[in-house]
Amino acid sequence: MLNILVCVKQIPDVDLVKMDPETGNLIRTGVPTLTNPLDLNALEAAVQVKERYGGEITLITMGPPMAEETLRECLAVGGDDAILITGRPFGGADTLSTSYSIVMAADMKGKFDLIFCGKETMDGATGQMASQLAERFDASQISCCFTVDEIADGKVRATRTLETGKEVVEATMPCLITVEKDNFYGRLPNLKAYLDSKTAPITTYTENDIDGLDLRLIGVPGSGTIVPKIYPPELPEPGQIIRTGSPKTDVSRLLELLAEKGSI
Amino acid sequence: MATYNKVTPEIAKRLKAVVGEKRFYQGEGIDPNYSHDEMPIYGKYMPEIAVDVETTEEVSGIMKICSENKIPVTCRGAGTGLVGGCVPLPGGVVLCTRRMNKILHYDMDNLVVRIQPGVLLKDLAADALAHGLMYPPDPGEKTATVGGNIATNAGGMRAVKYGVTRDYVLALTVVLADGRIIELGKTVCKTSSGYSLLHLMVGSEGTLGIITEMTMKLIPNPVCDVSCLVPFRDVDSCISFVPKIKLANLDPQSIEFMDSDIVTSSAAFTGNPIFPETVNNEEVGASLLVTFVGTDEEELDQKMIKLGRIAEEAGAMDVLVVATSSNKKAAWSARSSFLTAIEADTKLIDEMDVVVPVDKIPAFLIYIRGLGEEQGIRIRNFGHAGDGNLHIYCCSNDLEVEEFKRRVKVIMDKAYAKCAELEGQVSGEHAIGHAKMGYLRESVGEDVFRLMGEIKKVFDPDYILNPGKVCDATLVR
Repeated sequence: MLNILVCVKQIPDVDLVKMDPETGNLIRTGVPTLTNPLDLNALEAAVQVKERYGGEITLITMGPPMAEETLRECLAVGGDDAILITGRPFGGADTLSTSYSIVMAADMKGKFDLIFCGKETMDGATGQMASQLAERFDASQISCCFTVDEIADGKVRATRTLETGKEVVEATMPCLITVEKDNFYGRLPNLKAYLDSKTAPITTYTENDIDGLDLRLIGVPGSGTIVPKIYPPELPEPGQIIRTGSPKTDVSRLLELLAEKGSI
Repeated sequence: MATYNKVTPEIAKRLKAVVGEKRFYQGEGIDPNYSHDEMPIYGKYMPEIAVDVETTEEVSGIMKICSENKIPVTCRGAGTGLVGGCVPLPGGVVLCTRRMNKILHYDMDNLVVRIQPGVLLKDLAADALAHGLMYPPDPGEKTATVGGNIATNAGGMRAVKYGVTRDYVLALTVVLADGRIIELGKTVCKTSSGYSLLHLMVGSEGTLGIITEMTMKLIPNPVCDVSCLVPFRDVDSCISFVPKIKLANLDPQSIEFMDSDIVTSSAAFTGNPIFPETVNNEEVGASLLVTFVGTDEEELDQKMIKLGRIAEEAGAMDVLVVATSSNKKAAWSARSSFLTAIEADTKLIDEMDVVVPVDKIPAFLIYIRGLGEEQGIRIRNFGHAGDGNLHIYCCSNDLEVEEFKRRVKVIMDKAYAKCAELEGQVSGEHAIGHAKMGYLRESVGEDVFRLMGEIKKVFDPDYILNPGKVCDATLVR
């Protein structure tokens, strides 16, 4: 039976997050949250593997207590077990300390044959977590996975999407896989699973519950990077519609404007 | 159709004086889109003049000039109609309300909003939501104007629970054909005060007057909602489930029907297969998307549990839950894209939006599919199963236009006859325009059609308002 870990993250709805122009901070208050969409693609890939080869899917996330919502959403569509890492000391973590915390918490549950991740999150979008986790789990890594073709004899064979085509690769397990979304659209939960997920037990770890956790390596102290400033990109000037009443005068006006700007 | 005068340079000058130079268009300056709506198969007709109006007084000014000179006037909103309703058949003037797009005033004590007709449905819905309120009518085309929705009495997905646009119109400011301005209705919950000209104006498609302001009823926004997708092996068992939902007292907000073809098209178009084509490796024949609203999650869970129980008894393949914001967004954007998805992979398209008693939906769909096969025309359909309103599209990528029209006419003639046999109506929510006028006449009979014509004549004795639409009165004189 395969032991599968799927890493997920609750993020603010990035379409609704605004930035405080004075402080450069993201205004998250009152913004609805959602599960990082690419993580749901990773979960779907894991569920397809479970359906084909059998196994158990453990979900893991780090975040505030409300991140439990994301775990329940994922339990409803195929997760079997869920771990929430939460507590103030984990706050402000960059990818270095987050990957450390996740691996330490996952080790509490046991060893995993396969680890699935979204290739990045929609809020941070560093794309660093998967590789850091692979390193810390001492796992091989398959990125941009298009299909998981075969799992046998301790190896995974998968097809990767490249800019120029496809590539078939084989990796030994444990193996961490990030997926392309096209083949792994998340499924809707059925009613029973949805209702069951609401009361399913969730293992919650604080900094005091994880064996061997070095507090100097979590949260802000464990972070290798700081973000001194965030600012929105400068937007180009909005376009203008020329509508003078006739195509002929429209073109004349366009030529005038282009000449004014020195484009012609 | 009546005969009309052409717009002379002198008349054009007077019209231009009403709206000013920047909102007056003539000849090549007229947006070519003003010659058609979203169903160009019904022909393209350019107006001589187009004006963008901004006030009731401007509309009145335009109408006075056109009335004095017997110039036809076709009112147009966003042009999202599907029956050629806003197309200027005899030329004349197109009067576009798209710039009358202001939300004027909320009356939070009476839960109403006063708006101009060019406000887009999506903008009213979003603005009401920002006030903690909901504008219940929910037609699929969110970029339609609310004025257009009133003119066609648009329905939409939530009609099952909340009714249609008509039910939310409390008062209207209307400019009559001769330019007089009248007020219809008041901000009251009920009225028994003579003939309801207000309700006559709703659904009159710009043939009786031009709506320039309206007071719309709103409701408190429901706290939470959830949708369930209920897949079935075939259309028959799918539709048979609809009355069971109602009888179970589940009070759904909407019950949408989708067959497997439209689900496949939509998935290809949006790139997001949110609605499954198979369940447990078995092919889905048709599905219902049932939406509930409530005050808390517990209430919705109880409704879903009950739905699950009756769905199982009815042979549903499963009950899937659309609960997260991402899934809701994906599901409703897929549902809203059905028509666009059909249009995207079709060169020639014609449509009908009949409404039949709910239990007659399978019989009608089976019949129409048979007609499609017989005529070599691809049929796509979806609709509001909760109220029996079906959107049926005849599509072709291979036929020449004239041959397509010929074959579709055979289908339409037979389908509308079948609709009448099943005690249905010609249009559920897209209205009549000029495309369905003949079928309306057959459906309602000569006496009723004549009465409609007489009413038209009272409001518009020179037939200058949107000529050739709904019930061309000149046909029954």
